[in-house]
Amino acid sequence: MFHPEILPIEVQLPSLAIQLLFLGWVLRLVRRQSLPLRDSLLWIASTVGALLVTAFPRLLVAGANLVGVRVPSNAVFGLGLLYVALNVLSVTIAASSNAARVRRLSQECALLRAEIEALRAGRQGGPTAAGQP
Amino acid sequence: VRVLVVVPAFNEARNLPGVAEDLRASGTAADVCVVDDGSTDATAQVAASLGFGVLRLPVNLGIGGAVQAGYLWAERHGYDAAVQFDGDGQHDASYLGALVEPLRRGEADVVIGSRFLGDGGFRSTALRRAGIRYLSWFLRLRCGARVTDPTSGFRAAGRRAIALFARAYPSDYPEPEAIAVGARVGLRVAEVPVQMRERTHGASSITALRMLYYFLKVSTALLLLPLPGQRRGSMRA
Repeated sequence: MFHPEILPIEVQLPSLAIQLLFLGWVLRLVRRQSLPLRDSLLWIASTVGALLVTAFPRLLVAGANLVGVRVPSNAVFGLGLLYVALNVLSVTIAASSNAARVRRLSQECALLRAEIEALRAGRQGGPTAAGQP
Repeated sequence: VRVLVVVPAFNEARNLPGVAEDLRASGTAADVCVVDDGSTDATAQVAASLGFGVLRLPVNLGIGGAVQAGYLWAERHGYDAAVQFDGDGQHDASYLGALVEPLRRGEADVVIGSRFLGDGGFRSTALRRAGIRYLSWFLRLRCGARVTDPTSGFRAAGRRAIALFARAYPSDYPEPEAIAVGARVGLRVAEVPVQMRERTHGASSITALRMLYYFLKVSTALLLLPLPGQRRGSMRA
């Protein structure tokens, strides 16, 4: 658990505390239903992964050796970037799929509004010919 | 054939009466549907008072989403052809018949009105013409469509194209990409010569700085065209 030669304890403990707080915050958001579980799974999984590496720094050294990174702290930066990039990408995917839905809903809304106005005006639905008010 | 003229309009209240005059003068029997793309001026009221059908989008979707709303309307009401016609006075309604003719004869599914096939009219700046030639070359390379004016928004779509565009129409400078999307699934693309005018009110939506974005975006889109058969219900979309 403690390997000061890899990760000084005065760094390890605050890191653990911050990550636990963050994880607790995400879990609380889920329980208060501010964040659907579906959208939070990636955050929970990646934060648990970060917690594991922080709690057992030898995992990091083993992992760094495995992929040939000489300085484990560089592996930390690499993993950190990957962590952020993955989560941002998932947010971007969600945002564009929402944009596509908004687009289709707006179009549907416009079509329905036109139908309603046509019904109200008591004529058959559909645009009128050019220049015939 | 039943023809629907789709007029995408964002804050075009001042230009619409001229468009109506132009359409009337052309003697077209086509129905007209103005798509009010979340305008903040009286676009929808002016369009209605001119006797046009109006689709009022509750939020601004941009040209792609607005035009697609028109295609949806055309599809649901069983039109044989839909013609995109800008609400800013650039397009000349006297070419409507020529644009629809290849559809009527069953020779094409999409017909583009090209500034560069015939003579005269407003043809944009030299820099833009160079960009257009590049896009035209790129389109031919990627999907075999021979189009001299791929950025032209003056175009007609037959039934097959209406069904496709109602389902999947690109957003954000969609014109060249829409040709590629159609050509990719085997729609026949034709071109007829038209003349265009400079817009009467307001500035073109493409300013110098946006041109770089335009070409980066469209080039990337053409490079990353979805494979036929792998397209999802709507492309971002």
